[in-house]
Amino acid sequence: MIVRFLLAALAAGLIAGLAMTPAQYGKTIPLIMQAEAYENGEAGHDHHAPDSSGATTADDGHAHSHGDGESVLGFGRFGNTVLANIVAGCGFALMLAAVALLTGIEFPVGREGLIRGLVLGAGAWFSVQLAPSFGLPPAVPGFPYADLGDRQTWWMLTVAASAAGLWLLALRPEWIVKAVGLAIIAAPHLWGAPVPEDIVSNVPAYIASAYAAASLATTLFFWLLLGGALGVFMARAAGSRPA
Amino acid sequence: MAVKTASLSLTDRIGARTVAGLMALVIGSILVFGVGLANSQTLHDAAHDTRHSYGFPCH
Repeated sequence: MIVRFLLAALAAGLIAGLAMTPAQYGKTIPLIMQAEAYENGEAGHDHHAPDSSGATTADDGHAHSHGDGESVLGFGRFGNTVLANIVAGCGFALMLAAVALLTGIEFPVGREGLIRGLVLGAGAWFSVQLAPSFGLPPAVPGFPYADLGDRQTWWMLTVAASAAGLWLLALRPEWIVKAVGLAIIAAPHLWGAPVPEDIVSNVPAYIASAYAAASLATTLFFWLLLGGALGVFMARAAGSRPA
Repeated sequence: MAVKTASLSLTDRIGARTVAGLMALVIGSILVFGVGLANSQTLHDAAHDTRHSYGFPCH
């Protein structure tokens, strides 16, 4: 029974993680590569540098190169991203399954299980992507940034607070508890995210704003796929005879 | 399905769900931390595009 639940989550994570790489190569990664050309200000004065494909600009060999990862696992940048997406998919899937298991959300076999999974995925997208993005917008390389530790702390607290608050708001009947949930969701934003001292950037505003939308869109796709698959697989895991 | 589940006691069923949930929480947290938040340069470089795409705080 336990192993079945874990395998159900891993299967959903594998599917969503695999699907994320083409989504990223369609929407976010071309913008990351374009932005990297501006990251050190090298391309800032050359208006012809970022051609429409964007893919060639990352090979300039500038000092601050990211993600090429030849020395890491030997799979190159694409292989590293495929692997990282699978691991991220499985990790998020296990955490989403944990939320469902520990808060008593059950997935009936059939359509109802799928719908509950989709709703759970949408809630996770709100908690992990949308709510943190109010304070820390999805950032391309070369963005002005505050201290990394401060941002990671704020991000983790915001994800946890948004998830807990959303659960109170959506699944508890008492209005006073719902109000507390709303307050918990709002709290990290009233406290305030770490803001960089200097917000001037070499990265064109067009790339940055297109990127923020692309990141939220691709992760919505990811979380709905993950939630839906999780709902279907968890229903099967729970419905089958325990080993 | 009702017949199958009735053969389990309630505590067995709740116990299995809780244990599975805690295991999933621990393993999942480690994986997400490794991909998204760990400070290792090697992990950062490998997961760079993934970190940016998911909106993890990066750099």
